[in-house]
Amino acid sequence: MHAPALKPVLAIYTGLFLLFLYGPMLVLAILSFQTGPEGGPQFPIVEWSTYWYRDLAGLNPPSRIAPLPIESGLFRSLTLAFMTTLVSTTLGVMSAQAFRKKFAGSGIVFYLIVLGMMVPGVLVGLGTALLSNTFGVDRHWWSTAFVLHVVYTFPFAFLVMLAIFNRFDSSIEEAAWSLGVTPIRTFRKITFPLIFPGVLSAMLFCFTLSYDEFSRTLFTSGRDLTLPLAIYGTFSVEIHPNIFAFGVLTTLFSLCLLVVYAVLMTASVRRARQTALQEEA
Amino acid sequence: MTVLTSGSALASAASAAPKPRRSLAAYWLIAPGVAWMVLFLLLPILMMVYVSFWTQTTFKVEPILTAKSWVAFFSSDTYVGALWTTIRIWLVVLTATLVVGYPAALFVGLMVRNKTTATALLVLCVIPFWTSFLIRVLAWRPMLGGQGAVNIILEKLHIISQPIEALLFTELSVVIGMTQIYCVFMVGPIAFMLGRIDPFVIEAAQDLGAGFWRIFRTIIFPMSLPGVVVGAIFVSVMVLGEFATAAALSGHKVNLIGNIIVTQVGSLKWAFAAVAGVVLTAVIAVIVAVLLRLVDLRQEL
Repeated sequence: MHAPALKPVLAIYTGLFLLFLYGPMLVLAILSFQTGPEGGPQFPIVEWSTYWYRDLAGLNPPSRIAPLPIESGLFRSLTLAFMTTLVSTTLGVMSAQAFRKKFAGSGIVFYLIVLGMMVPGVLVGLGTALLSNTFGVDRHWWSTAFVLHVVYTFPFAFLVMLAIFNRFDSSIEEAAWSLGVTPIRTFRKITFPLIFPGVLSAMLFCFTLSYDEFSRTLFTSGRDLTLPLAIYGTFSVEIHPNIFAFGVLTTLFSLCLLVVYAVLMTASVRRARQTALQEEA
Repeated sequence: MTVLTSGSALASAASAAPKPRRSLAAYWLIAPGVAWMVLFLLLPILMMVYVSFWTQTTFKVEPILTAKSWVAFFSSDTYVGALWTTIRIWLVVLTATLVVGYPAALFVGLMVRNKTTATALLVLCVIPFWTSFLIRVLAWRPMLGGQGAVNIILEKLHIISQPIEALLFTELSVVIGMTQIYCVFMVGPIAFMLGRIDPFVIEAAQDLGAGFWRIFRTIIFPMSLPGVVVGAIFVSVMVLGEFATAAALSGHKVNLIGNIIVTQVGSLKWAFAAVAGVVLTAVIAVIVAVLLRLVDLRQEL
């Protein structure tokens, strides 16, 4: 580029931009090591300690600060995310498979599916709550909230799988069909191993989105809170560094997921490549 | 990332090659997904529109049609005020994400010609998304408070002598928080579009004697416009549907339509909540439609 001063200026700017993105989390991580129970959620750090981490684990003697209600919420959120991942990824693979051929109405169906990730959570949440009220259906995290989690994450799985099928070489499948292999067997033995890296990505998307989702869950989970709802509940009251410690832990958990994903991905890409080579040989 | 996939999805939806066999199979494969979306996405939205015309009594709604809730909504200063606040915050945040994000996208998409470095930078931008959204919002409290990190740093640098109290629990803190959280949705699509500009086009312009601003005005910006529009759609939809950032960072001073819905549901005023929901849906629909008018996405992507 001609303007020679521009590139370093933009590089510095991008560095500052990243600081803007990461700064609050860094401050939060530092403050999570505040001493307790008298240390507040602000600077200065009175004394470095792991008090609030022990507080989360329930290791501290009872104090005036109520512990975060995260234990049962964690179980519910993980179960919900797991159920959502299974259903959304299955629906996503099926729908994307259907889209490999143009069919009448495919345009409308495409927008209908993508709408699921675009419509704000409050609106679908409200609508679903109204529906369940009218039909006398109880609202639970595993029923009404689960249904909406799928509405939200299924489009992501669908788009990921569309992108995968877009670059998919279907001549191998056609070879199998022409040899008389049933479509279902072809899918299981040939298509699925080849698209598995995509399926993994779709699952990662679905799991993390569902695990973190709360605006759809707010009106639809009934009495039992999921993890994000428990966090949301603390917004209205005074906050303590225990929520910062929790933030650090949940971030580490998500990063662990990312690492697991990376490992599985590398393995499956290698396997897919081998399958493809075998087919060619 | 999302844009990458949705971009290619648009392309594939448009160009899926027709194959002669198994014509009915596609419908069987798509049926469960479509049924799910109709039952749990379209039906709830329609229900919301329907209930907005129901009669609200103290603690419940009855299916007797009336426009009372609508009249109540538009004759109340609180609700109409919330509508304007929502639109104002949306405009400010949209502008802020564009202004803050564009230079970063310019660097990642255009200046970094090494694909690995560009991807690494984009991944760095996306990683914060693996942490909880609510935690990210909450993280702004110790940043912006009277004894917060920003004030401490500014005082240490002798830029200010007294902490700025206006940073937290104001409209400004909501805007700062939202800008940080949604900025990446602007950077990603723009960087993606900028990355597709052929470097030779820019070189040719330089050889013909065009300065940077001229190149930016006539080549770079127009070619990044689809990215800007996609980013603007993402940011708009998310900001308009927001309530948590306002709840966490404004100290109940900023009421968005989303906050109105949450409080109305909390006090079982279902019909009012539904009216607010329909109003919000309409606002979003209009804004997205206008944004889509700006460029022909199907063609550009």
